[in-house]
Amino acid sequence: MVRVELLDAATAPISVQQFFGGGDPGPIVAALANVPEILGPTLGFLGSALGDGAATTRHKEFAILRTSALQGCRYCVQTHSAVALDVGLTEAEVRGLRGELELEATFPDVADQRLLRWIDAMAGATGPVSDEVWNEVRVSFAAHVLVDLSVTIGATMFLNRFATGFELPTSAATLSRLEKEGMQ
Amino acid sequence: MTGIAVDTVAAGPVAAAIADGVLPGRVWLYTNYHCNLACSYCLTESSPRSARRELAPETMLEVACQARSLGFTGLGVTGGEPFLLPWLPETIIEMASSLPVTVLTNGTLFVGDRLERAAALAGHDVALQISLDSHLPDVNDMARGEDNFVKVVEALPRLIARGVRVRIATTTAGPLDDPRLEPLKRLVASLGVAPDDHLIRPIVRRGRADEQGLGVHARPADIPSELTITADGAFWGSFGPTVRMGRLDTDLLLTRIVLPLSRPAEVLLGLLNGMPAGNDVRLGIR
Repeated sequence: MVRVELLDAATAPISVQQFFGGGDPGPIVAALANVPEILGPTLGFLGSALGDGAATTRHKEFAILRTSALQGCRYCVQTHSAVALDVGLTEAEVRGLRGELELEATFPDVADQRLLRWIDAMAGATGPVSDEVWNEVRVSFAAHVLVDLSVTIGATMFLNRFATGFELPTSAATLSRLEKEGMQ
Repeated sequence: MTGIAVDTVAAGPVAAAIADGVLPGRVWLYTNYHCNLACSYCLTESSPRSARRELAPETMLEVACQARSLGFTGLGVTGGEPFLLPWLPETIIEMASSLPVTVLTNGTLFVGDRLERAAALAGHDVALQISLDSHLPDVNDMARGEDNFVKVVEALPRLIARGVRVRIATTTAGPLDDPRLEPLKRLVASLGVAPDDHLIRPIVRRGRADEQGLGVHARPADIPSELTITADGAFWGSFGPTVRMGRLDTDLLLTRIVLPLSRPAEVLLGLLNGMPAGNDVRLGIR
């Protein structure tokens, strides 16, 4: 049961009505609208952090879905499983990022493996990221790409805790899509 | 009355918008949401059982101070019933050193010690706006509660005798120019209240009035866009922070942050830009 009121076009504050003009904006916007002054800035940050940037769309989804799986966020895992499929990841890759398949076997590319070990160290652990993981990932990725992905990981962790803490509901369309794919 | 010493001229977008008539000059503060009455058309479902949701006096004083600095020209205080708060008179007097203050009250508490404490408002730039809806006690009391009429009619001369400026607000379900209001106007005048200090306004269909199907439907543009501060945030208009079926209406919420006052004021100003001045007079809501 969702733990915060999800505002809609009728109940959304007048100062953020523009986010509700195109229909249901989704539960993250609907929940954030309870504090209207943070909605715009937060969406601006999330758009930059999760959208196109220095990293490829594929690697952005690695960061988002893997982080969400490591953080145990049901809402984000379900939502971004569908997004990852939409941007071209295979079903096996999605399952791998979700922790349902062995990573190295699912991602034979060495650069992908290095990146995933770094994401695991960033999002699935506390404390320092080891020199070994860092030196490996730097062989395959420029520092500015890793800066971009680190912001993606951080933003995802915020969303993970937000969606989990407030028990945000996954959309019916996403659940239906995942059911068809057999990965709900 | 004590005049407000204008030692500085406020400058900036808020002051300019007020000067241009785009932004109303008054800032409202909801002191609390609980009330000793439970009127049938209450916007906030206030009653003795309502959660208090008080503004701290320090917050009210800071709002008053910042409102003046920004260029606002007046303050309104409402609730709930503000005079249920024992610290209210002293706080109002201090606020009035920043800007003129109008305090909305049901007028039923001005006896004994509360009357004498309210009397201290005399000599300051403060007006009490007391609700009275009919010259017929039973009609008035049907909406506002038993013995409301007699308490108000008895309180008015006491306050006026002590030098407190009093206005009367009549909330009506009928037309604002209804001839049936004439006996009430005569009664109000006979109690020592000048005609200009008798405000007649419609019931706005929000809060408990909406639950009961009372009053006029109002779009945001129909509601005077006076910046309104509550414990729950800042709203578009004093008719914004209404409560319906126990839920605070959020449709006219501007920001949850209230201080610095410039934050909600600038959000409100952003929404008003492009709207013609005086757009909110269509329904006579005030």
